[in-house]
Order: sequence, then structure tokens, then C-alpha cells
Amino acid sequence: MTGALVIAILVLGVGVIAVRRRSVAIALVAAQSLALGVGALQLAEGRSGDYLVAAFVLVAKAIVLPALLLLLIRRTPERGPVAAAAGPLVRLAGGCGLVLAAIALVPPLGLGDARPERASVALLLVGIAIVVARRPAFFQLLGLIVAENGLSLLAVSVPGGLSYVIELGALFDLVLVVSVAAAFAQRIHLELGTGDTELLRGLRD
Amino acid sequence: MTELVPTLAWVVPALPCFAALLVLMARTPRQADRISAACAPVVAAAALALAGIALGRGGAAPLRGTWYLVDGASGVFVAVIAVVGCASALVSREYLRHAGRSWMRAARSRVWYYAALYAFWAALLAVPIVGNLGLTWLLVEATTATSALLVAFSGRRDALEAGWKYLVLTTLGLSVALMGIVVLAIAQAGSGHDGIHALDWHALERDAARLPHEATLVAFVLILGGMATKIGWAPVHNWLPDAHSEAPAPVSALLSAALLPTVLLVAWRVKATLDVAVGGGTAGALFIAFGLASIIVAVPFLWRSLPWKRLLAYSSLEHMGVLALGIGIGHPLAIAGVVLHVAGHALAKSLGFYAAVRLVRLDPAAAEHAATGVAARSPTTALAMGVSLVALAGLPPSPLFVSELLIVLGAVAAGQTAVAVVAVVALALGFLGLLHALLESVLSEPGKPRRRTPSPRSERPTAVLTGVLGGGLLALCAAAALLPGSDLVAALARGAL
Repeated sequence: MTGALVIAILVLGVGVIAVRRRSVAIALVAAQSLALGVGALQLAEGRSGDYLVAAFVLVAKAIVLPALLLLLIRRTPERGPVAAAAGPLVRLAGGCGLVLAAIALVPPLGLGDARPERASVALLLVGIAIVVARRPAFFQLLGLIVAENGLSLLAVSVPGGLSYVIELGALFDLVLVVSVAAAFAQRIHLELGTGDTELLRGLRD
Repeated sequence: MTELVPTLAWVVPALPCFAALLVLMARTPRQADRISAACAPVVAAAALALAGIALGRGGAAPLRGTWYLVDGASGVFVAVIAVVGCASALVSREYLRHAGRSWMRAARSRVWYYAALYAFWAALLAVPIVGNLGLTWLLVEATTATSALLVAFSGRRDALEAGWKYLVLTTLGLSVALMGIVVLAIAQAGSGHDGIHALDWHALERDAARLPHEATLVAFVLILGGMATKIGWAPVHNWLPDAHSEAPAPVSALLSAALLPTVLLVAWRVKATLDVAVGGGTAGALFIAFGLASIIVAVPFLWRSLPWKRLLAYSSLEHMGVLALGIGIGHPLAIAGVVLHVAGHALAKSLGFYAAVRLVRLDPAAAEHAATGVAARSPTTALAMGVSLVALAGLPPSPLFVSELLIVLGAVAAGQTAVAVVAVVALALGFLGLLHALLESVLSEPGKPRRRTPSPRSERPTAVLTGVLGGGLLALCAAAALLPGSDLVAALARGAL
């Protein structure tokens, strides 16, 4: 996978932590998933047929998940933006900080190419940061997908690729988890009139 | 009998899937109840047959196929999941009859509840049988999706919070674990093994000595750290008390008595296969650290006046810590303790959660506050709660007393005396906390005027459950004498897969 594509995948993920509009965030995640699929197809030459299946699975992910997410935002209209604990620039700075930390601290994972190794760990951290930093359930759901895309980046870079059984299974699980999370987001919206999970803080000891 | 294993390895997870489809065809809630009541014993019987064959082989080499691996550990865990799953499916009828509001449409809520329960049960039953780490991860992730819906079944705000927290935190944890699995796949590819079967348990064990130490250590830490979220080990246990307390009680029983130990089995197998590459000392030390942290974090909460199910949730944190400790110590005595603890904890904890169905019906405030004077209101419910608490506290003749003793003796025999001392002190404090809860909740005077005494007929299911599960606990205590020195324990302690 080319360095430019890896950087593009990383930048698109970091963008999700900063943007306000849900439709823009979906576009970023869709573009990231598509870039990942294209990158996997680039690597398919000379690899097994199984790997080609896995690459097509990633391309399918770029279509299926955004469609599900678009359906969700149509069903959960927000009256206004949900107030954030930190502004977009602060969030963006935090995301960039995580990327730099990953670049500096990630030990070699055995691929022999540090770019996808560091980028995938950085995306996993950015995904976790999105869940922590964004209050709307919808954005927390996007955080899960960004983290998952980080894993896919590492998986497609494995020499020979991960088995298509795992890729298909992971896609099935991801669609299942995203569907359940979307059902939750819809129910939370129905219960609270907003997707702001900060209002769900009743359980304390 | 071993010739039945290839068939049963497919049939056991397939049966609950089939049951879920059958339930979805039910036209009325009562029909769904009847289908579930008919299917649950069939699923449990098939699973117990498989478990019986696996346990009957003692410490013999595991039975392997392309996709399955059946060994002694599979036998123990499949038996536990079968018993708890069957009891939960049967108790669900009583829960659903008085459940009140639900997230789903009233007419179909019971159908969806059972469908999700059977799907969850199917994924759980498959985990100990599957012979591949990657597929095991997929199944563990599938348990999250199915059980999150069940956690939030009531649709109340607190249940939504608990379900959402559970879904997000465990999915993130499992993402970290998957990264570890991919790192392991990279290491395997580097030594010439790729494709799905490079992640088979026996392939990992066979190749462990050739795997690069540093990358395997990174993979192990990521897998264990990620799985810790799902097991509910401290300090990544935040979802556990909320999900266990807000889920329907039969689901809480499955979460605590079956899901947590089953994911722990995955972590145990990762340790067993990668010990050589990681270094036995490091892997064991990580388990011991998670174990002690979980027990120590749980103890203060066992002393607090908490709602019954929340108290049981913190007890789960403590007991998952005990299991981690036993596995980390790794001495055959400690492993015997682990096997006994998995079974004893499952019976005692599920009885406690089933008692909650009756408790909340008698006193709805008990869902939000610590119960008081249960013995005065309903002696049968009090007996169920008492048996559960006494067993969980580890008061003799509870099998958990024997299992904890074996784990501590294993620690001393392995030269881990400091670990044994810390564990004994923390467990003693936890014991006193649970006895305090027994006195405060069950045996105290009721805080409010007594309500109408429940009819003996309505108390009968709770009495039967207490008899069956209490009898099971006593039987386990008697069987405990056979475990140390047995071929099964010797094979598990060797980490043979």
C-alpha cells in the first residue's frame, strides 16, 4: 500500500474527531473505508484468491456501513449540535497528539514496514479517543468503526493477508454490532430527545 | 462415544440457533414460552452429552477436527454453559410474565427476547469448542451484539445506559484483542504459516517456540488486555456492575456465570499456547496482577449496602479475579481450584440472580436499593439468596471454599507466598462483606410493613431451583476430592491443547 494512501486513511480517521456535522463524518468514514478497500485491491496482485475476496469485503464495508449510518441520521434528527466538552480544534490537536505518540512509541509488530503498523495503532487510539471525546451516541459509534478500520489496515498488510473467513466474519460482526448500536442510538434519541450520552449518567456507586 | 464428537461439535451450537428461528415463528408470547420450554432441555442435553464425553476422556489428547477442538476444558465450560443457559431459558418465563415495559413492541418483545437469548447461548456454547483463535474472537464479538440487546431489554434509561456502555466498552476492548491476534498472525506468517489454520490453537502451540519473543509478547499483552474488558477484570470492569444490575435477571445469570468465565477460557488458552514464546513467568504474572487487582477493587463494594443484583455483580468481579489468580499461578493444585471454582461460581451466582426475579416481584424497591427483611417476607426467596451468598462467600461446605483453598495452597506450593497472603486477606474481607450483606438483606427486620404473604404455590419454582442448584453445590463439594491429582487437572496444568 502506498504511503500516500496510508496517510490519507489516517487523516480521514482523525477528521472524524473534529467535524461537527454527522453527514460530513459519515463521508469521512466512507472515504476511509473505500481507501482501505482500494489499498487492499492494490496489494491483491500475486496473492491468493482468498485475499481478493477479503479486499472485496472491505470495499463492501465502505458501502454497507455508510448506508446504515445515513439511515440512522434520517431517523434521529437533532434540533441543534450537541454541546461538546472541548472545541473542534482542541479535539483535533488531541487526535494529532495521539497519532504522533503512536508514531513515536509503537514497537515493531513484525510487518517490516513501519507505516501501516504505526498508522493502524494510531487509528485504534483515535477510535478510542472519539468514543471518549464525543458525547453523541452517533459519533461514539463512528469511533468504533474508525478503530475497526485501523485493524483492517493492519490485517490487509499481513503477508498473504488474513483469511477471508476472518475478514467475512469480522464484517458480519461489525455490521451486527453497528446495527445493534444504531438501534441503541435510535432508542436513546427517542428516550432523551437527543443522542447526547452525557445525559445517561444515572448509574453510580 | 468419541465418534459422536464431530457431529456434536456442530449440533451443540446449531441447536440453539435453530431454537431461535423457531421462537421467531411464534405468533403469541405464550407460544414463545412453550417453544423455549421445549427447546432448552434439548439443547442442554446435547451439550451435556458432549461435555460428558470430553470429561470422560480425562487427560487424554484433545479431539480435533478442521474447526473444533474438544478437550477437558471444553467439557467443563460446555457443561456450565448448558446448565446455566437451560435454567435461564426456563426462568425467563417467570421473569417475562411480570417484566412490565420493554424496549420492543409489546406484542413481539417476548419473541425477540427469546431469539436473542438463544443466539447468545449458541455463541457461548461454540466458544469452548472452536479450535481457532480468530474464529473464537468472532464468536466472542457476536456474544456482545446479542447480549447488549438483552441488557437493555427493559428500555428504561438506566438499562439503556448499561447496555450502551457494555456494547461500546467491550467492542473497543475486543478491537484491542483483535489487534493482538493480527500481530500474532503476522508473527506466524513470518515463520511460514499463513491462512486461517495458522491461528488454530494447536498450530499456535506447535509453533510457539519459533515465534519471535518481542512480537509475541506485544500480541499477548494486547489480547489479554482486550479480553480483560470483556471478562470484567479491574481496572477495565466499568460496564460489569451496570450491565449485571440492569439486565433481566436470567440474562444477568448467563452474563456472570457463563459469559465471563468463557471469555476467561479464551485468555487461558492464549496463555497455554503462547507460554513458551512469551515466557511463562510474564504471562502468569499478568494473570496474577489482573486477579489481585480485581479482588482488591471488589472488596469495598461487597461491604456497601447495594441493590441485590449490583452486589452479585461486584461478587463476579471478585470471582473472576480468583480465577485469574489460579490460572496465573498455574500449579496443578491451583488449576484444580480453577476447575472447581468455575462450576461452583456458576451454580451459586445463577441461583442468586434467579432469586432476584422473585425478590423484585415481592419488593420492587429492591431493584434500586438494598433489600431488607427478605426472610420475614418470603422464606423461600430468603433461602435461595442465603444459599447463594453463603456459597459465594466461601463458607464451608461451599465448593468455593475448597476451590479458593486449593488456589491459595497452589500459590504456596508454587513459591508465590506473598500472592497467597494478599489473596487470603482480600478474600477474608470479601467473605465478611458478603456475610454482612446476608445479615442486612436476608435476616434483618423488614423496613416497611409486611405485605401479603406469597402463596406456597407461587414459591414452588424458587424452592425447586434452590433444591436443584443447592444440591449441585453440595455434589461439587463432594467431587472436589477427586480433582487434585486427576488426569484432567494434570493435562490442564500442562497446558496441553
